[in-house]
Amino acid sequence: MLFVTDSRVKSQEVDTPTIHELQKGSEWRFEVAFGTSVEVKLLSGTAELFGTELALNQTYTFIGAKAAIYTWNGCRLEVSGTCQVEYTAEETPMISYSNTHFALENLRQSAVAENREGPRVLVVGPENAGKTSLVKILTAYATRMGRQPIVVNLDSREGMLSIPGSLTATAFSSIIDVEEGWGSSPTSGPSLVPIKLPLVYYYGLPSPEDNKKIYKPLATRLALSVSSRLMEDEAAKETGCLIDTPGAISQGKANYDVIQHVVSEFSVNVLLVLGSERLYSDMLRRFDGSKTSNDENITVIKLSKSGGCVDRDETFLKQARQAAIREYFFGEANRTLSPHTQQVDFGQLLIYKITEPNSLIASLMPGGEVEGDVPLFGKVEPSVLMQNCVLAILHADLGDSQEILRDASVMGFVYVADVDDKKRKLRILAPVSGRLPARPMVLGSWPEPALNLVG
Amino acid sequence: MSSGLASDEVAEDYKNSLEDLTFNSRWEISNLTVIAKENMDHALAISRVIENHIKSTPPNRKLPALYLLDSVAKNVGTPYTLFFGRNLYQTFMNAYSLVDGSVRRKLEEMLKTWKEPVPGSMNSRPVFPTEVTRSIDNALIKARTAAVQMQQQQARNDPLGRGRGVIPAQTPPIPFRNTPTPPVAGARYTPPQTTQVYVPQSNGNGNGITGIYGGSQPLNQQAYANPMSASNYQQPDGFEQPTGSIDSLHNDIANLIATTRNEFATNPYDEGIRQRLKALLDLQSILQSQQLPPDQLKLIKDQVAQLTPASFTPAPISTPIPPQPQPQPQPQPQPQQQQHQPSLQNMFPPNALAALLASTAASQQPAPPPVQLPVPVTQPPIPYTQSPSAPVQGITSPENSLLASLRAAGMLPAPSNNPAPPPPPPPLPAAPLPTTLPFQIPFPLPHISTPPNVHASPAQPCQGRVSNDVQMTSASLKISRPHLISLLYEGQPNQCASCGRRFLNTDEGKKKKAAHLDWHFKVNQRMVEAVKRGQNRSWYVDEMEWIKSRDDPDDLNAQSANGTHTNPSTTAVSLSTAMKKDPKMQYIPVPNDPALANVNCPICQEKFETVWHDQAQEWVWMDAVKIGGKVYHASCHAEASKDGAGIQRVATPEKVLGKRKAEASTRKHAACA
Repeated sequence: MLFVTDSRVKSQEVDTPTIHELQKGSEWRFEVAFGTSVEVKLLSGTAELFGTELALNQTYTFIGAKAAIYTWNGCRLEVSGTCQVEYTAEETPMISYSNTHFALENLRQSAVAENREGPRVLVVGPENAGKTSLVKILTAYATRMGRQPIVVNLDSREGMLSIPGSLTATAFSSIIDVEEGWGSSPTSGPSLVPIKLPLVYYYGLPSPEDNKKIYKPLATRLALSVSSRLMEDEAAKETGCLIDTPGAISQGKANYDVIQHVVSEFSVNVLLVLGSERLYSDMLRRFDGSKTSNDENITVIKLSKSGGCVDRDETFLKQARQAAIREYFFGEANRTLSPHTQQVDFGQLLIYKITEPNSLIASLMPGGEVEGDVPLFGKVEPSVLMQNCVLAILHADLGDSQEILRDASVMGFVYVADVDDKKRKLRILAPVSGRLPARPMVLGSWPEPALNLVG
Repeated sequence: MSSGLASDEVAEDYKNSLEDLTFNSRWEISNLTVIAKENMDHALAISRVIENHIKSTPPNRKLPALYLLDSVAKNVGTPYTLFFGRNLYQTFMNAYSLVDGSVRRKLEEMLKTWKEPVPGSMNSRPVFPTEVTRSIDNALIKARTAAVQMQQQQARNDPLGRGRGVIPAQTPPIPFRNTPTPPVAGARYTPPQTTQVYVPQSNGNGNGITGIYGGSQPLNQQAYANPMSASNYQQPDGFEQPTGSIDSLHNDIANLIATTRNEFATNPYDEGIRQRLKALLDLQSILQSQQLPPDQLKLIKDQVAQLTPASFTPAPISTPIPPQPQPQPQPQPQPQQQQHQPSLQNMFPPNALAALLASTAASQQPAPPPVQLPVPVTQPPIPYTQSPSAPVQGITSPENSLLASLRAAGMLPAPSNNPAPPPPPPPLPAAPLPTTLPFQIPFPLPHISTPPNVHASPAQPCQGRVSNDVQMTSASLKISRPHLISLLYEGQPNQCASCGRRFLNTDEGKKKKAAHLDWHFKVNQRMVEAVKRGQNRSWYVDEMEWIKSRDDPDDLNAQSANGTHTNPSTTAVSLSTAMKKDPKMQYIPVPNDPALANVNCPICQEKFETVWHDQAQEWVWMDAVKIGGKVYHASCHAEASKDGAGIQRVATPEKVLGKRKAEASTRKHAACA
């Protein structure tokens, strides 16, 4: 768990730890580059990272992170290592965020009393407005109160408990990992932080607009699974769900139909709008006073963006995506996983590629969209173009129709390490050893090929 | 590798350090190995640096450099082995061709160790994949016997060309990636009668835990041992009521349940019996989890008295009466009562039994009739995974209401006075169980049917004290409310020192914390072992499995620490419950130690059966248990320790096979339930 810094390699980084005294209601914001690590220890007081409380005198190691540690009661932090950016901020939206949680608690209690489902909360807002952080805070507070929210990620740009390109739903009942984003999906071994069990679908494109014909049905399918779980799982039912969305659907009216779709599919009754007045007024106009399918009022609430939100540049995001893929196969810094490479014949695999409707052609068509004829997936032969790509193995059968493939959840991902066109063989890196399951695989264009995963 | 720049820096540093590696210095090599380990993120860069160094360094420095590669591969393992493996042939052969005879012999010795697992590791995989080492082997053979070069060339080309594709497929799934430490789990879940025998092992655990966490172990054991001890059933200590009448009521209901169960066991397809049984179980759990006013109790009592036919003789053994509801509701009564009673009285006239039952049922959300599943073994009345679904429908229809069910139960035919174990019902091949727990497996429901209470409570007690007035409006969200924040902190003063998780300062909270600490301890214990074994990411679950899975707060449910993390669903939990009861379902991973791998069971002198265990994702010996360094058939051991002296040969192979089939269907049953 401890990352012992060796003086010979990182001599320039070893410095005496700094002590930060945080006043009540302030926040220490920090950024750590990929490839460097920063250790944080809470010496006294209380502190939380995106809602999850830090334990006293435990060392937390951050690699490639932009985060903030907030204190309600004041605290002392010991920090060693070099942050790219670090400062203490006094102004935070934490009061309104925590109140949002307690307002949700009230809704949950009345839901229990009336034997209804707890609130279904949708968080929308432009890129880098802190949507995921807000969802994380609300998740952490809910679990700290003994609740069990279902957390849904509809943002394929970043994965939650899975690689980018995926859409997931996960029940959270235990503490969220402080160091590793959302934590870890199940592995064959033990985990210091309780693992989370995600349900994973693969969209394989960065933005919902790229192929709404796949994105919307996937959202529908995910909503179906979530509502089935809410129906059957008492603890989840009274807590409800928290839905994180991609910034793209909040930017520009053209994509409001996606918001509308999600609201109706998940029967959303609380819509949190983060950091955009215009979006708020649009949402208000669209949803205020309307009712969900089960006749609950939809509430639209505006929340301010945190001053700590930073625009994450493309380089950082790309590194984060690569790190997520690597983590899927090789584990985190303190828990190494052993993936398995194997050679397979071209003929052994059935690979479908997601059709990306050419937006240029589509816009030239009279109706604005190419209707019907374009299949969702096309069968493809392995080729060198697939090298370094990630394939999603579906919970589906080889003969299944396009619609079934579209709706199928993901069993896991494999990485194409090598393609030998002459011998017609692929070298595949799979998380689990043994024969690859004979199931259809899907190739998307997102996440982009990961370089040098195996060397 | 994701960060080009930093990797470059690390690589540069490493390269400089390598220059110091001029002779075979153990200190230097282990130091460089540690650095490689700490910079796993840059494994690719570092392995390239090492390879290049081996290539470029003068011949007299090649051996220490290769020793470094060897050390990193053996001590750090993946991802280095992967990276080295790619160019190992060139790296090795290049060095080999340039060094003199004595060094060559050392290199050959080293190569030999690469074909074996790392010494002392639980991982049975060789250091480098066989296809890699084989190609080197072949090249060496070729070099040595130039005379038969042509012939040998063939031998080399063949495995090289074809072997690569074939070998991985032929190698059986490697048993290193596995979850659990079944020996520990096995010891924890042994049937009660063998508990003493496991003392050495569980003692070890116990001591450790006591030492570290102040004796959370006993608490836990109690919790597990409990469901079977009938003795504490009669004393629901949470009840302050006139105990005499309640007790007799409990007895009556319990007796009714027992007879109904017997009936059900004989007629598993009879819908009427099933509903009656369910109604009774619901009533029982209501009575045990809530405190009802005396007049309402009396009504229930009268009703129950009517149901009990005059000819009914109470079942002479109280053991089959399910004491299961006990552990769960017991901590609950007070909060429950505060929560429910006022509302009950407001809403319903105190005398209306029907309304009372219906409303309590509503707030309790009793398990509805199960969805009819095709597999016959899923027939037992109330598969608990179904429980929370659609309780509303169940209540709105008057036929399904508790009262109606009870009335229907009035038509109860004269129960058979023979409380002996029921004739084995066809759909439950596992029926010939010890008479003391005939219903443990078929009826897992009762002590699980109450999770609504368990889950509903944690937030409520602390909120009850503090008024939460936050509305979902912009204005209300802006007001600072420190008293609410304290619910997240001071309100839960009982904090875990290692992860920061907080618990309420109630008995319930203390219990949860103890279980939580226990979980930490077990995980830490297993971490040590897991590092040696190597782990891998599991496949994701499918939709059905996810929907059915219950995120039992992992660390509160000590069972989940037994290693079913790959599949933390109810399936896993019920499976492990089944394992606890049936020694045949116990297993241990096939020992890596070859000496141990060939031994027979010391009791029956027969071999262990090696099977691939899907859940554990490894090769295991079923029906096996390791005690004090020796491996026994779990059933032999259970048998032997039960009757103390007589060592018996339990199972002929046919029998084992037959039983295993039965278990397989039990497992399926558990999985479907």
